[in-house]
Amino acid sequence: MILMYIITGALLLASLIIQGHSSFDVLRIGGVKPDLVFIVVVYFAYSFGSLYGEVTGFIGGLLHDAISNSPLGLLAFPKMALGYIIGFFGRSIFKENLFTVFLLIFFASIAKGVITLILCYLFHQGSLSSITSIILPESFYNALLSPPLFFLFDKIFEQELSREGR
Amino acid sequence: MEFFIKHRTIVLFILFTLFCFISLSLQSSGVTNVVEGAGNAVIFPFQKLYHAVQTNVSLLWSGFSQLRNAQEELEKTRLRLQQYESVAEELEEIKRENEQLRNLLGLKQRLKYDTVLATIISKDPDNWFRTIIINRGSSDGIEVNMPVVAFFGDEKAIVGKIIEVRGSISRILPIISPDLKIGVVFQESRYPGLLSGYSAIGKLCVIDYVDKTATIKPGDIVITSGQGGVFPQGLLVGVAVKSFPSESGAFQRVLVKPYINFDLIENVVVIKKEPDKDILKLIQDDSQL
Repeated sequence: MILMYIITGALLLASLIIQGHSSFDVLRIGGVKPDLVFIVVVYFAYSFGSLYGEVTGFIGGLLHDAISNSPLGLLAFPKMALGYIIGFFGRSIFKENLFTVFLLIFFASIAKGVITLILCYLFHQGSLSSITSIILPESFYNALLSPPLFFLFDKIFEQELSREGR
Repeated sequence: MEFFIKHRTIVLFILFTLFCFISLSLQSSGVTNVVEGAGNAVIFPFQKLYHAVQTNVSLLWSGFSQLRNAQEELEKTRLRLQQYESVAEELEEIKRENEQLRNLLGLKQRLKYDTVLATIISKDPDNWFRTIIINRGSSDGIEVNMPVVAFFGDEKAIVGKIIEVRGSISRILPIISPDLKIGVVFQESRYPGLLSGYSAIGKLCVIDYVDKTATIKPGDIVITSGQGGVFPQGLLVGVAVKSFPSESGAFQRVLVKPYINFDLIENVVVIKKEPDKDILKLIQDDSQL
């Protein structure tokens, strides 16, 4: 179990560092880059339930806030909330196949974007144009990357998943 | 206690939610700064390490690929050096002559500032914000509100300004961010305006409050006006792309393509110019009204 926590932390850290490195800008499509941290959070919620999902989402989101210029909590809350909600249903509802994973990440990313936009309106500054300029393209990009990443994570956590009977 | 353990998922959810909303309400307070500082302390050593490894690997790779051309380049460089040595003497003479002429004309000597060369180690990992982190901080004498430029050919073009400084790193708010506002003028026509980022994800800027009678052509050069207390006058910003009337119709707005390509930029220069505190205070007071 401790090993799993270490790997979880390492995955969050690695995705934050890769996502924040200037060379990652090469992957920008239509001005947006994918949110690797969020894909990792959704994977943990989807595979290991609400508790693991919300804790991973909260810690990953706080670190994301710390190195971003966002006010603390703006990126943490949507990740934590989605981690909690997705973990509620998990693999029991969203049967694993490529298309389900694609749709899961797509709609989860849209929900994350909408929550972020509402928080921006309340605590920072928001613009409705973000829906077409950020939320939709990022959701599509996240969804596109999620099947291979989920496959990779399934391999990494094969033992844990089989222990939990998933 | 048993209740909390039994319902720990929902209890944690409520606690995390409360934390997020309280910290969002107390933006930039002591508590949130401590948490952000702790997060930075965890991430930045790894970011620096990743950057160093990535830079060294690419240097090693380019070293191998360029080794073959090295001999040829060396010969060419020797020849060029001989030419430059003779040019350098001429330049020195011209410089002396120029200084004498300036003195004669009574021109004010241009202000010279110290500069610090910095490398970009990371960019904002999120699509909602656009900041840049550099590997120089308060230990290098960098302070908040110092202007940052990068070389565009032989000229300095503006990148943004410092908004956060820690021990060995600083955060830059680039001119493509809608959060940064800069006083600019068109180099030729001298019409002033207020420049900011056009959108959260775009690479363009927009100049507001340009006189509607001004004739702005695509390709017109935009430079800093020097007003606002942060940026020195005359720094290159970008070129006009197109102009269109503002929503109220009282002014026109001009889209500007910055000289700096923010996707490819790797090194920047921080100008150690202390901001004009009186002007900054005036602007802050004005924005609070």
